[in-house]
Amino acid sequence: MEKSKPEIVIELTKLAKRYDDEAGVYDALKKVELKVRAGEFLAVMGPSGSGKSTLMNIIGLLDRPTQGNYLLDGVDTNTLSDKDLAKLRRDRIGFIFQNFNLLPRLSIMQNVELPLIYQKIRTAERKRRVREVLSEVGILDKIDSKPNRVSGGQVQRAAIARALINKPSLILADEPTGNLDTKTGLGIMELLKKLNNDGVTIVLVTHNPELSHYASRIVEVRDGLLSEKEVRK
Amino acid sequence: MIWQNIKNAFLSIRSAKLRSALTAVGVMIGVFAVLVMVGVGDGVKAEIESQISNLGTNVLTITSGKLNQSASSSDPKEQKGSGINIASGIGTSTLTEDDVKTIENTPNVSRSAAFGIISSSVAKDQIVSNSAFVIATTPSYFDIRQLKTSQGSFFSADDNSGSKFVAVIGADTKQSLFGGEDPIGKSISLRGKQFRVLGVIEKSDAGVSLGANADDIVIIPINSAIKLTGKNDVFRVIAEVDSEKNIEKVKASLEQSIGSNHSGADDFSVLTQKELLTTFSSILDILTTFVVAIAAISLLVGGIGIMNIMLVTVSERTKEIGIRKAMGATFGNIMGQFLTESIIISLIGGVIGVLASYLAGMVIAKLANITPVYSPIALISALGASLFIGVVFGTAPAIKAARKHPIQALKSL
Ligand SMILES: Nc1ncnc2c1ncn2[C@@H]1O[C@H](COP(=O)(O)OP(=O)(O)O)[C@@H](O)[C@H]1O
Ligand SMILES: [Mg+2]
Repeated sequence: MEKSKPEIVIELTKLAKRYDDEAGVYDALKKVELKVRAGEFLAVMGPSGSGKSTLMNIIGLLDRPTQGNYLLDGVDTNTLSDKDLAKLRRDRIGFIFQNFNLLPRLSIMQNVELPLIYQKIRTAERKRRVREVLSEVGILDKIDSKPNRVSGGQVQRAAIARALINKPSLILADEPTGNLDTKTGLGIMELLKKLNNDGVTIVLVTHNPELSHYASRIVEVRDGLLSEKEVRK
Repeated sequence: MIWQNIKNAFLSIRSAKLRSALTAVGVMIGVFAVLVMVGVGDGVKAEIESQISNLGTNVLTITSGKLNQSASSSDPKEQKGSGINIASGIGTSTLTEDDVKTIENTPNVSRSAAFGIISSSVAKDQIVSNSAFVIATTPSYFDIRQLKTSQGSFFSADDNSGSKFVAVIGADTKQSLFGGEDPIGKSISLRGKQFRVLGVIEKSDAGVSLGANADDIVIIPINSAIKLTGKNDVFRVIAEVDSEKNIEKVKASLEQSIGSNHSGADDFSVLTQKELLTTFSSILDILTTFVVAIAAISLLVGGIGIMNIMLVTVSERTKEIGIRKAMGATFGNIMGQFLTESIIISLIGGVIGVLASYLAGMVIAKLANITPVYSPIALISALGASLFIGVVFGTAPAIKAARKHPIQALKSL
């Protein structure tokens, strides 16, 4: 917070990601520049394979760039250890995936409380907060169900609840409606919009132009480069 | 966190019941084998202790060779060496006829019996026994050892002085040579010579001790043995002291007088029952340690089983690891989770192994003449060993899990 531009949550400069494995060398991102301010709802668009997920994984601290800098809340993430990154994911970031990524053996309750367990929050407090977020996303009645016992839309709502439980300042959603039918998908978008109105910064990846209308700003990734498309409001 | 890890461990153990059970069996067998071996060893030891103390605390054993008794000796000169020379009990004896006379004539020695061991099979007609232990001694042996006959009688001093070829046999020897037949007056052969059976010794409650069956025994007069073999090898002399108070005094006097018979050579030992006990115990400890070391190998194999299964578990659950990392799990969190799982599987095996060894102890006590003894220390060590195995063999898989790259883990499956 004491750093130069406190209102900027994400700042990427000359960010590049090169995949280098047995299959060969591939530059998924080349010199990406991006600033995201607190409270923004950013939509990242672009064709399949253009590097959107690669970008999201770096922003979400699940992966590191091969070049360039990423400042999160003004802190240069290049200087942080893996453990620091894990703690930032735990305390500051909420993830929503296309394929939900709930643990099938655990109940909705146990899935949603996971980030709080790693924060070492007491059982009673965890229970209280899980109920709170589950009612916020509208599936409190499914609290004890296993993920395979509820519908796709409800699973994604549980995943959103899990992303919200640690009261993150940043929610990253990588094609969250990709596995849902249109109507259910719109419900999820309404929910994200509501969270954004409550002040949470959201970065959404989608290739559905209709969904991008929920965003306050749209950028496009193409061939590993990012360009501004549209700003609303 | 620990509680969460334990809950998670049971959850995943339950979701792969058969596999977890088979893995735990490895540790179970190891713990079981070690505990049963230690239990039987301790049981045999307790048995020998009671046998030796049954002989009476006023008995001294004079034996060929030097058995160091630093643990119990009050003589500082003897405290420099410890342990025993097993070979000293075997081979040519250093005790002589003179020593036997010296012992007999020592004040406060009420009676004594020299005995030698004859290596010979025992036969009756076509039936040959190689297992019987053949002892040559004097009649006072029966008194000092407090033996009783179930049939017939012991040989007499006259039988000995007349070098008569007579014998007294143990209950098991009688059974194997004569079956239901009455052996009294019948002949058995030792080294081709016929010995007339005078009596059968009452079955002892001692059972097997130090690998020798106390009931599979043939006792002949010592003079007859000299006539048979042409030599007089005194293996040991047992001497009964008139009162327990005089034990140490007699011991010192015997060490002095036999020592001068041997011109000062340090080639014999005078042992109290307590010292004898320590000697046997330490032989048994060596044997037990050896057998337990072998049993411990199965514990090692159990540990390798755990490592193997945990490696499979980790690769099967790579996706879960990715999700947990995305939710903020650190290296330590993931490591703790999988380590807890391997420890719990190992401990489950350990606990079942302990219970199984108890059951086996009851069965052994019924079938054999040994009651296995399970000390609390052995039980705690067994559980400690399972914990140790869980940690040692669970660490590599847990590190492998914790090291996984979040994105690669999330993309798996
Ligand atoms: N781990 C990886 N190793 C090698 N290449 C990868 C890896 N992950 C992604 N890629 C490649 O990088 C490009 C961008 O992938 P991705 O970021 O997933 O695209 P998008 O999400 O926009 O569809 C693709 O061509 C993909 O094949
Ligand atoms: Mg993608």
